[in-house]
Amino acid sequence: MIEASHISKEVATSAGTLRILDDVNLKVDDGEALAIVGPSGSGKSTLLGILAGLDLPSAGQVRINSEDITAMDEEGRAAMRARYVGFVFQSFQLLPSLTALENVALPLELRGDAHALETARRFLERVGLDARWHHYPRQLSGGEQQRVALARAFASQPKILFADEPTGNLDTATGETINNLLFQLNREAGTTLILVTHERVLASRCHRRVELQAGRLVNSEAAMPVNS
Amino acid sequence: MMALKLLWRSWRGGQLGLIFGSLVMAVVVVTSVALLADRVERALVKESSHFLAADAQVRSSREIPSQWLAEAHEQGVMTAEMALFASMVYSGDYNHLASVKAVQDNYPLRGVLTLSETPFATDPEQFQQVDHGPPPGEAWVDSRLLPLLNMNLGDRLDVGEVSLRATRVIVEEPDRGGSFSLFGARVLMNWTDLAASGVIQPGSRVNYRLLLAAGDDDLADYLSWLEPQLAVHDRLLSPDEAQAGLTDTLAQGRRFLLLAGSLGVVLAGIALALASRHFAVGQTATVALLKSWGVSARRVRALYWQQTLWLGLVGSLLGLVLGWVIHEVLIVLVRELLPVNLPAPGWRPWLTGLATGLLCLLGFALPALWHLPALSPLVVLRRDVPVQLVGAMRRLLIGVVVVAAMLLWYSQSLAMTMAVLGGLALTAATVMGPGWLLLRLLRHLGNRAGNVWRLALGNLWRRRVQSLVLLAGFVSAMAILMTLVMIRTSLLEEWRWQLAEDAPNHFLVNVAPHELAGVEKLLADNQLQSVGWYAMVRGRITLIDGQPPSEELVDSNEALRRELNLSWSSQLPEGNVVEWGAWWDQLGDFSGRYGEDVAPVSIEQDLAEEIGVTLGSRLTFNVGGLTFEGLITSIRSLNWDTMTPNFYILFPEGYLEKFPRIFMTSLYLPPEQKPFVNELLKAYPTVLVIELDMVIDRIRTMVSQVTHGLELMTLLILGCGVLVMLAAVKLSMDERLQESAILRTLGSTGRRILAVQSLEFGTLGALSGLLAASGAELALFLLQQRMFEASFRLHPELWLAGPLLGALLVGALGVAYTRQSVTRPPLQVLSGL
Repeated sequence: MIEASHISKEVATSAGTLRILDDVNLKVDDGEALAIVGPSGSGKSTLLGILAGLDLPSAGQVRINSEDITAMDEEGRAAMRARYVGFVFQSFQLLPSLTALENVALPLELRGDAHALETARRFLERVGLDARWHHYPRQLSGGEQQRVALARAFASQPKILFADEPTGNLDTATGETINNLLFQLNREAGTTLILVTHERVLASRCHRRVELQAGRLVNSEAAMPVNS
Repeated sequence: MMALKLLWRSWRGGQLGLIFGSLVMAVVVVTSVALLADRVERALVKESSHFLAADAQVRSSREIPSQWLAEAHEQGVMTAEMALFASMVYSGDYNHLASVKAVQDNYPLRGVLTLSETPFATDPEQFQQVDHGPPPGEAWVDSRLLPLLNMNLGDRLDVGEVSLRATRVIVEEPDRGGSFSLFGARVLMNWTDLAASGVIQPGSRVNYRLLLAAGDDDLADYLSWLEPQLAVHDRLLSPDEAQAGLTDTLAQGRRFLLLAGSLGVVLAGIALALASRHFAVGQTATVALLKSWGVSARRVRALYWQQTLWLGLVGSLLGLVLGWVIHEVLIVLVRELLPVNLPAPGWRPWLTGLATGLLCLLGFALPALWHLPALSPLVVLRRDVPVQLVGAMRRLLIGVVVVAAMLLWYSQSLAMTMAVLGGLALTAATVMGPGWLLLRLLRHLGNRAGNVWRLALGNLWRRRVQSLVLLAGFVSAMAILMTLVMIRTSLLEEWRWQLAEDAPNHFLVNVAPHELAGVEKLLADNQLQSVGWYAMVRGRITLIDGQPPSEELVDSNEALRRELNLSWSSQLPEGNVVEWGAWWDQLGDFSGRYGEDVAPVSIEQDLAEEIGVTLGSRLTFNVGGLTFEGLITSIRSLNWDTMTPNFYILFPEGYLEKFPRIFMTSLYLPPEQKPFVNELLKAYPTVLVIELDMVIDRIRTMVSQVTHGLELMTLLILGCGVLVMLAAVKLSMDERLQESAILRTLGSTGRRILAVQSLEFGTLGALSGLLAASGAELALFLLQQRMFEASFRLHPELWLAGPLLGALLVGALGVAYTRQSVTRPPLQVLSGL
C-alpha cells in the first residue's frame, strides 16, 4: 500500500518560489490501478517521481508498505525501489547500445539473477517480440520499443509499477495495443499500477482516477470497481 | 563481471573507441620512447665497461700490491694487470719511441681486441676479434709502426733486452679511448716478457693498471674493501666515471625524448578528456535508469571505477605491445647510431607506459565521469533536472596536475617540468591567440562571401572553442613535423652548400720540420694543394697574471689542463677578426716595453672569456720546461667554417722559433684520391690525418637518422592531434546532426551540407597549416642562426604545403567523420532516435 500525506513540492525559480504540489493526500491499495490525470504542468510527473521515491517532497510523507521513504536517505530509497518498484516511461528509455534482450535482462543482471537472459526472453515472447530479441532499439519502431520497455518493467516483477505517459509518444492505434498489453500484464502479475496520463480512455481503464490542477487534487473518482 | 559486461556493451555500441584509442596512443608514445632510451642506455653502460676493458680499473703510478690481487682472488673477482709506458723500440737500424702496453693473458676482461694480419687493413673481412693478449715472445703493433721501423709482420723488434716477433697489427683496442693520440705507435706485449725486457727501472714513468671484473655484488664488495687502501697516487675508475660525460648526455637524451613524448600524451589526454565528456553525457540516461531501478550510488561508482580500470588495463597493455613494435621500427630507423646488439629492456619502461595509461585515465577520463554516481534518478522523468558536472576549470586543473606529475616522473627535474609546462602553455597561447583572431577575421570575410562560405565560416566562429582546441592539437604536431622534414632535406643540404665544393676536407697534423719538404713533394706529385703550413709549438698556460689559476678554473677548463697549440703569424690569418686590441703591425715597438722577453699575445675570444683574461692580462707559458711571459694585445674571433687551421693563441714572429715545433695544414682531397691517405701514412707514419670528410658524413648521417626517428615520433604525435580533432568533433556531433536534419527538412541538399562541412574543416586545416608553417619557419630560423650558423632563407615550400596538406588532412577527416549527418534520415535524427 502506498500512502501520501500532505505532500507539497516547491522549487525556487528566478521569479520566486513556485509551488508545484500543494497538500496532496493519496492512498493506493495493493493491486489497485490508479490514473493521475490533469493538464500539462499540473504536477503529475512530479507527484509520480515523489511517490516512486525518485524525488523528495518539500513537505509531507510517503509511505510504501508502512515504510516512510521520505525519511530515508538516497541509498535507503534506492534499496526500496529495488525491492518494490518498476517503471515505464514516455520516452521508453532503452539503452541504445544494448539489444532488446539485453535491455530487458539488464535490471535482472544488476540484481545478480542467474537466469536473467532466459527470463528476459520469456517476457519478450510475452510482448510478441521474441523474434526481434537481437535487434537494437534504433532498429525497432516506437511501439516495439515500448513493448520492450514493458517486458523490461514486468520481467523484474515489481510490486508497484509507475508509468509516465506510456503512450505519449505513440500514435493512437499503437498506443491502444500498448495499453492492452500493459493492463493484461498488470492483471496477470497483480501489480499495483500508478499511471500518469492525459488520455481519458487510458485513465478510464484504471480502477480509480485522480485529477491534479495547479498542484492540487481536485477530483477523485472510481472509474471501475477494484476487483473487476 | 557486471562491469565487464557493461564495458563490453558500451564498446560494442561504439562509445569507447575514442577513449580507448587516445589511451592507447598515450601509452604507445611513452612506451616506445622509454623502451628505446632504456635499451640504448643499457647497451652503452655495458659498452662503457669495454672502454675500461673491465668493470672497474685502478690506475696507479706504483706497482699493484700483491695483497690486492690476493683479496680479489679470495672474493672471486677476476683481475688482469697491465703496465703502460713509453719506450724506444728497435728493429735493425730503425727506432721509434713507442707507446708500450704490457698485458696479462686474460686482457681484456671486457670487450675484444680487433686485430688483422694485413697492415692498414680497412676491410672488416680482414679483421679478427680476440679476447686475450699476445702470447709471450710476440708483439701486436699499430700498422704505422711497421713503416716507422721499416719492417714487416713476422719480423722481430726489440723492447729493451727482449726480442719480440711482431705477428699482428692492432685495429682497435677496447680501452684506447677515442681521442687523437700524438704519442708513439702502440706495441702490445705479454706481461711475462716485461721483467726480461728490463725497461722498467726505479724512477721510470710507468702507469700501472689493475683491471677488475665480477658480478655486480661481488665487485661492489671488493671495491668497498679496496677503497680505503687507495693512496693519493691510486685512482679507481668505474664505468660510470669513465663515461661520465656520455651517461649525462644519455640521461638528457632520454629526458628530452620523454618530454617530447609528453606532448603526445598531453594531446592524447585532451582527446581522452573530450571523448570521456562525450561518453559521460551518453551515460547520464543509463545511470539515471540504473538508479531508478534502485542501484545505489555506491554500486554505480564501483561499476564505473571497475569499467575505467579494465579499460585502462586493456588499453595500456595494448599500448605496451604497440609501443614495443614502434620502438623496434625506431631502432631500424636510427640503427647506425646504435650499438649492434641492444640488451633486453628492464622493467622501468613498461612501468612508465602502464602508469601513463592509468594516470591518463585518472586525470582526464575520471573527472568527466565523476558526477555520474551522484546523478539524480529523477533525470529519467525530467530532462531539465540539473546535472552537477565537475567544473571545466577543475577538470583543467586536475589535467594539469596529472601532466605535471608525469613530466616530473619522466624528467626527474622540477625545473624541467616547470619549463615544459610553461612551454606547453605558451604554445597553446601562441596558437590560440592568432587562431582566434584569424577565425574572427574569417567570419567577417565570410559575411561578404557566398552562402556556403558564410555558413562554413560562421560555424567555425560559433564553435570557436572546439576550433581552437583542434588548432592547438594540429598546429604543434604539424610544426614539429615540418621542422624535422626541413632539417633532414633542406637544412643539411644548405649547410653543405655553404662549404665551398673544394673546401679543405683533411687536416694533416704532426708533420716534423724534416718531413715538411717530403710531404710537400708527395702532395705535389699527387696534384694536391695545401692551404699552407702552420708551425705549432705545444705549450701550457701555467700562470695568469703571475698567479697559478684557481683549482676551480682548472677543473672547468680543459685548456688549462692540457698543452695548447701555440703558433705564430705576421699576418692576421684569413677568417680571423681582431675584436679588441690591435694586431702586431699597430703595436709599434713592443720589445722590452713591458719587461724583458715579454711577448705580445693574441688570444681567441671564447678562450679568453673562459679563463677570465682580457686585454693587458699576462699569461705565463711553459714549453718543454722553459717558461716565458706574454701580454694579451689582441682578442680575435675565428671563423671555423673556413676549414683552415685556426689557433687559439698566436704570437708575432720571433718568439717561438727557438722551441721544437711541428707543422700542420689542411687540404682538399677529392673522393677518388682517398687512397692517398694510406700512401702518406706509409711514407710518414708519424703524421696524423684527420679525415674531416668522414666526420662531416658521419654528422650528416647522424642528423638524418635522428630526424627520421623523430619524424616517426612526430607522426605519432600528429596521430594524437587527429584524436583531439575527432573527439572535439564528436562532442559537437549531436548538434551537427540536428542542424543538418533541420536544414534538410527545410530543403537543403545533402551535397550542399557536405560542401559547408568540407569548407568548415578545410579552412580549419588550412589555418592549422598556416600557423604550423610560421612555427616551423621560426624554428628553422633559430636553428639556422644558432646551430648551423647559416644565413636566413625563407622556405616558401612550407607556406604552400602547410595550408594545403592541412586543409586536405583535416578536411577529409572531418567530412568522413561527420558524413552521417547527411546519411541519416532527418526524421530519425529529429525524433531523437
